[in-house]
Amino acid sequence: MTAMKWHADPELLSSYTSGTLDAIAGASVEQHLSHCAECRAAIAAHTDLAGLELAWAGVRDTIETPRFPAPIRLARRLGLPDSSAVLLAATASLRTAWMVSAFVALAFATLAAILTDGENLAPFLLVAPMIPVLGVAAAFSAPQDSLETLVVTAPYGRTRLILTRTLAVLATSLPVAVLLGLLVPGPTWVAAAWLGPALTLIPVLLALSSFVGPYPAAATVAVGWCGVVGVSVRGLPATWPVQAEQQVIYLGLAVLACAVLTVRAGRRSEIGALL
Amino acid sequence: MEHPTVADPRDDATLVEAVASGDSGALKELYDRHAPWLQARLLRRCHDREVVLDVVQDTFVALWKDARRFRGDGEVAGWLWGIGFRRMVSRLRSRKDVVLIPEWSSPDLGRLPAAEDEVLLGVEYGDLAGALRQLSPEFRSVVQAVVLDGLTAKEAGRLLGVRENTVKTRLHRAKAQLRGSLATLEGGPR
Repeated sequence: MTAMKWHADPELLSSYTSGTLDAIAGASVEQHLSHCAECRAAIAAHTDLAGLELAWAGVRDTIETPRFPAPIRLARRLGLPDSSAVLLAATASLRTAWMVSAFVALAFATLAAILTDGENLAPFLLVAPMIPVLGVAAAFSAPQDSLETLVVTAPYGRTRLILTRTLAVLATSLPVAVLLGLLVPGPTWVAAAWLGPALTLIPVLLALSSFVGPYPAAATVAVGWCGVVGVSVRGLPATWPVQAEQQVIYLGLAVLACAVLTVRAGRRSEIGALL
Repeated sequence: MEHPTVADPRDDATLVEAVASGDSGALKELYDRHAPWLQARLLRRCHDREVVLDVVQDTFVALWKDARRFRGDGEVAGWLWGIGFRRMVSRLRSRKDVVLIPEWSSPDLGRLPAAEDEVLLGVEYGDLAGALRQLSPEFRSVVQAVVLDGLTAKEAGRLLGVRENTVKTRLHRAKAQLRGSLATLEGGPR
């Protein structure tokens, strides 16, 4: 096109940028600009360079800020403040490795139940409630926490930290476990019934931790649950550990554990101080 | 006025390649070259300076992330405009106070000398500007959104609040009308 030798003069460019140029002429200026590097450079003199300088600072900040790891980005998208997101991401049981190993363990248990055609539910019932429970235990036991020294000194309530992490662990581990539970042959309610012991064992674990610390507490809870499932293997129906009568007992136990926690926390003003 | 000469040996496409491999200096160079006109062109469509600066910023952040997707078969300027304008459209869709399609009938009509007008439009087919002015407003808005601003029929439909097929029909009719009025005005190509 011969028009390439022609260039927009400053007056035209300034009436374009100030908005006084009518739309058709404006459109033709735009068409010219999209093919003419010289006029694109010339228009800079007629624009808001201070604003552009500011916008560039914004671009630079964005591209130079390292991206947060995936779990933090997810937590931020869910509306958590940065500080909580970072603390959550430091939780051992929220790391990919932990979640993958929990998933694999439960998948094997599910497979065992499927292979015996639902006659032997013990592996599934043994593993499924333990996943959230051990996840919670790992979420506040100090040696596994890369931020522990920071957490101790930060003005961030330990109770809040523990409860946030507990919720996050439940939110990440329960959906997968429930889905796998649906694959287990036998009555469908089993897929949900193991939630009873799982949700009981968590307050029991927290209550025990307030006396003996998280590791012995987790071990006690795990051994206890193994005992319950182990007893059921000898002659009782496969679903015995999660039947209605037993669920009532679990509920009672959970209430008791919460009461103990509340009383203990009331004395020391916060749960976190105990754990 | 003297135009600042573009002395840099690296052309836009090379710079985009450099950006794709993580060269933030190249991004700055592209920013200096393209941010001013992008800002000016967006400002013609939305008078909220803060929104426009935000969109400019977003566009270059997007360039940083997506530089690898530039196919290198078109102008970098056109590509950037596509990113920027689409971002502004989707950002302002909920705002009714912003006009994304400029008004074509202004009191300044015919302010430009005819010769300049022709050169600008690259017109070799007679009075294109005059023919464009004769279009009805809904045809103009479609021509503006699709032909000049480069939206797809679907995007233009969303912007103008009409269905995609309506956009296509209007565009088709507008072209026919333009062709018709150019033929009657000038009796064919000059």
